[in-house]
This record gives sequence, structure tokens and C-alpha cells, in this order.
Amino acid sequence: MLVPQLINGLTQGSLYALIAIGFVIIFGTMNLVTFAHGEVYMVGAFVGAFALTLWHLPWFVALLLGMAAAWVLGFLIEKVAFRPLRTAGHMPPLLITIGLSIMLKDLAVILFGAENRPVPSIYDQTMHVAGVQVSVLQLVILGLAAFLILVLRFLIQGTKIGRAMRATAQDHEAAYAMGVNVNRIFSIAFALASALGGAAGVLIGIYYNAVYPSMGATAGLKGFAACILGGLTSIPGAILGGLIIGVVENLTVQFLASGYRDVVAFLVMVLVLVLRPQGLLGRKLRTV
Amino acid sequence: MKTRLLITLLFVVMLPLAAMSPAWSGEPIHIAVSGPLTGNFAEYGQNWQKAINLAVEWINATGGVNGRPIEIIYGDSKSDPKDSAALAQKFTSDSRIVAEIGDFSSTASMAAQPIYDKAGMVQLSPTTSHPKWAPGSPWSFGIVGTQAGEGPFMARYAIEKLGKKRIAVLHINNDWGIASKDYFIKGAQELGGQILGVESYFETEKDFTAVLTKLRGLKPELIYVPSFYNEMALMSKQREKLGWTDVAVMGPGSLYSPKLLEIGGDSVNSLYTSAVFFPSDPRPEVQKFVKGFEAKYKATPNMFAAVAYDAINLMAETIRKVGTDRKTIRDELTKTKNWPGVTGKITFTERRDVIKDYRHLVVRDGHFALFDK
Repeated sequence: MLVPQLINGLTQGSLYALIAIGFVIIFGTMNLVTFAHGEVYMVGAFVGAFALTLWHLPWFVALLLGMAAAWVLGFLIEKVAFRPLRTAGHMPPLLITIGLSIMLKDLAVILFGAENRPVPSIYDQTMHVAGVQVSVLQLVILGLAAFLILVLRFLIQGTKIGRAMRATAQDHEAAYAMGVNVNRIFSIAFALASALGGAAGVLIGIYYNAVYPSMGATAGLKGFAACILGGLTSIPGAILGGLIIGVVENLTVQFLASGYRDVVAFLVMVLVLVLRPQGLLGRKLRTV
Repeated sequence: MKTRLLITLLFVVMLPLAAMSPAWSGEPIHIAVSGPLTGNFAEYGQNWQKAINLAVEWINATGGVNGRPIEIIYGDSKSDPKDSAALAQKFTSDSRIVAEIGDFSSTASMAAQPIYDKAGMVQLSPTTSHPKWAPGSPWSFGIVGTQAGEGPFMARYAIEKLGKKRIAVLHINNDWGIASKDYFIKGAQELGGQILGVESYFETEKDFTAVLTKLRGLKPELIYVPSFYNEMALMSKQREKLGWTDVAVMGPGSLYSPKLLEIGGDSVNSLYTSAVFFPSDPRPEVQKFVKGFEAKYKATPNMFAAVAYDAINLMAETIRKVGTDRKTIRDELTKTKNWPGVTGKITFTERRDVIKDYRHLVVRDGHFALFDK
């Protein structure tokens, strides 16, 4: 049962990784943390679920719609909560995102109800790979997560906007002086991060067959933990962090009990940070 | 300002309705209901509400209780112990209210229990089945039966009827789930069943892949799952996705809801469960209830509607006999003997709970059917 548990863990971890990358992009370019990311993920999940259940669209259209909704929401959050407060320091935007996260969650409860909304399965067959029975859906989710990460890598490494993002991440002012429209880059970075969160939301809805308003809270926390574990500004670190948390959770269920999954997952995060405060793949921060 | 406008509007709308109702010789009798009208257990709470409204409509249409109409005051607990306790405070301090019906889960009912106990008000729960619940206070009554009866019944179903001896258990980690699991395991072991493993999950869990993978490794013939329709539906779909189809799945009567079939789809086919209420039961009281419910709501009542219907009717009957004093209602309730409910005859034991007759059910082609083999 070790191999199936590893696959369970990697599937779940790849979705944590998508959320974690969002935190990395936002923190990397803007040096800020958002606590509304989990709710952006929830909104993406709901839009995806509606696309599948009410409008009966194919799953990849649902995925794109969920990402688009999250993109728009992220864009708006940046405009409302971050842009006017750019020079106000770390605290005010942080508090605004906490407020936004509560607001979005309660709004979803009012509009959609607090109960689970069922989501239909796709690819619910299994196949045998080297004598192990694996779920096709798990392979599809792993593949999609990897694909999205590759697209992101291309965007960041291979395009002009990506170059501007990297420049902004290194030094806002220098990038601005070189003619980069920093405000636009911030918008794009936030929206891009949100779209990845939305994708994770749609996929998790399909994977567990349910979406619900409070789903963002734990997912956001796990994604944030994965991002810290990986080193806060490193995308490969966030991927590694997400996969580690996913696998640790599932192995905990196998060898301990279901109730311990979050305990052990966060314990691993704490231990890594005690031993390596900069995270797994992060650079050491110089103290000024 | 807005609320005043709303109240005025309501009044204007209600006025012609009030004029149509029969002339009452007294003030309404207020009975409180505390249950999950929204949230993850909303389906159950809404079934209560439908059944109770139907019963009250019938009672009030035939002259009410001793010339007074019944009026229900609903409180939405979401089946959350915090909310059920807060509602208990509210209801017990409202002198109009003579008794309470609720709450849904054992945890929510038990959280409110000390408050009703202290205030001296009957807490008659349609669904609470924890064996320690009713004995916990002289004011607590349960009419759905307890796991002390249901657990061994399910164990006989698994071992004697289905011949499955290698059993794993996956239960919800709350008061009800733990008691449910314990009585089932005790019953199964007495019949020579082999419990291969016991796992639990929290109420908020949505990912069952890991725990199912673990249980699969134990190679059980049957998994017994004390849970509710929501988790059971998700669990069944995820189990199917993992390709684990060579196992029988069984759970207590809490699963007997059309929502299970709706959400679970094909994945819940050949799931085994039980019921104290089955709509095609020919007894006249059952048929009257089923026909009336179907006419009013275009849906067949389920077990949760049935127990709520019994609860309100038993309460009305008791008040009819002895009046509206909170204490006399309690004393009279304890004397209930062979009262013909739609969920079977109700006789309270000295622990103020009921011993039920269960039916063997199985899901076949997307419907609940009686298991007959």
C-alpha cells in the first residue's frame, strides 16, 4: 500500500504546490503576503463546479473558466487592497486580505449555502502500471499540475513580461527606472498567482467530488506552509514543499491515523524551519 | 426602520390568512425546534421542518390541541454544539415555550442537554441515538432508538445475512460515531467476526483516498462506516476512483436519505443499510403520512421526516392529555406506551429511549430496497 499512498500524496501535493507557487509569485514580486488566496481558490473551485454541474461544460472548459474567474478576482484584489496602500508598509494590505478572505467566505455561504456542493467525477477508471493499480484521474491531475507549472516557467523565463516580472522582483525602483510599468507587472503577477490557485480549486473539486465555502481556509494554510517550507521566494521550493506536505500527510494516515495528518504535516514544516530557517531552497536572508 | 416596514408588510399579508383560520379559544401553544436548517446537515433539518409543518397543519386544521393552535418556533443550530447550546438558552428563557424538539446530532443534543436539564424543559430528540444521551437527564427523550440496538443488528446483518466476517471499520470521529462503532464491533465480535482495523475521520474531512488506501491493504470483505450521506457519497466516489470495488460497504440508518443516492450516484449501488421507517409500509398511520407528505411536497418522506413527524405528534398528544406545564409534560411523556408512530410503536424504557424494529435495506439500481435473501 506504500506506492498507492505515495501517488495519493503526490496528487494532493501537486495541488498544494499550485497554491504555494501563487504565494511565491506574490511575495516574490511585491514582497507582500495575501491571506485571501485560499478564498480565491474557493471561488475558482465554485466556478469550475458550476461549469460542470449547471452548464454541463467539458472539464477543461470548466478549468479555464475557474482560472479566468480567479484571475479577475486576483486582479480586483490587487487593485482594491494592494495598489492604494503600496507605500503603507506590510500591515495594512495584510489586514485587508484577512478581511477580504472572511468576506468572500461568508458571501459564498450566503449565496451558495454552507453545505457541500457535489461535483461529478471525470476519468474515474483505474489502470495498472507495473502491477500497481492507479487512478487515471490522479495521473491526469499530476499531469495538469506539471503542465501548468511548465507554462508558468515559460511565461517567466521566456517572455518579455516574464523578464519584467523578474526585474521587478529584484528591485522595484531599478525596474521602474528602466521603463518597466511596475503597477502593471504587480497586477499581472497577482492575477497569474490567483489563476493558479483557481486551477487548484477546480481540480480539487473534481478530485474530492465536492466544493464548499470553507474549503479555502485549510488549503490556503497548507499552500502557505508549502511556500514557507520551500523558501518563500523559490518556485521549485514551493513545488517541493507542496509535494512533501502532500506525501507526509498520506503516509501519516497509513502509518499513524487519519486524525494526525495535519499535525504531522505542520510538524515537519516547523522542524525544517528550525533546522533551516530560510526554507529548503530559499536563500539566506541577510539581516540589515 | 427597515424591519418595521417588513413587519408591517408581513402583518398586511398575514391578515387575510388569520381571518381564514378557525376561531381559537386560546393562545397558541409554542413548541421549539432546534435543528440543522442550514449547513452540511441541512437536508436532514429541512426534512424535519417539512414533516413538522405537515403535522402541525393537520393538528391545527382539526381544532388544534384543546382548542389552541400549535405554533412552532424554529431555531437553526446547524447541528453545531455551540449553536444548539445558545438556542437552548434562548428557548428555556422564553416562557411561552412549553417543550423543545431537537437537536439533530448526539453532539449537538448533548451540548444543550445541561441547559434544558437545569431549566426543566423537555428535550425530545427525533434523531439522537447515543446510548448515553437520554439517561443523561430526566428531561431528555430519544425516539429513534440507540446504537445499543442498531449496532448488534447491523453486525448480524453483516455476518449472518451477508456472511462477511473480515470487517474493517471507518467511523466519523464524534460522540455518535464512536458509540456506533463500539456497539457494532461488540456485536460483530460476539458473532465471530474479525475486526481487521478501525479508522476514523473528522467531520470536515473531504479526502478519503488515504484512509481508504490504508483499509484496502487489510483486505476486508466488508467495511462498516458509521457516517452521514455527505461523507458516504464522497467516500464511495473516491473508493470507486481508486478501483476498490471488491468490498461490501455497510452503514447504519443515518445513511437512509435520497441525497445519498443523488450525490453518490452509481458508486453507492449495493450499499447496505437499515431503517426504522419504510414508506411502503402498509400500516394506516404510515400511509396517511406518506400520502399527505407526497401531496404537499411532491417527494417521498424519509426516515428523518418520519421521526420528526412522530416527535411532534407525540408531543401534541401528550399536551392534549395534560396541558402545557413543562413538568407535567415530562411526567406524562415517561408513561408513553405502545404509541403508534410511523416509525413503529413507541414505548419509553426507564432510560427514556426506545427499542426499535429495524429493516434490512440495500441500494439497488439507484433505489433503496428491502434486502430479501
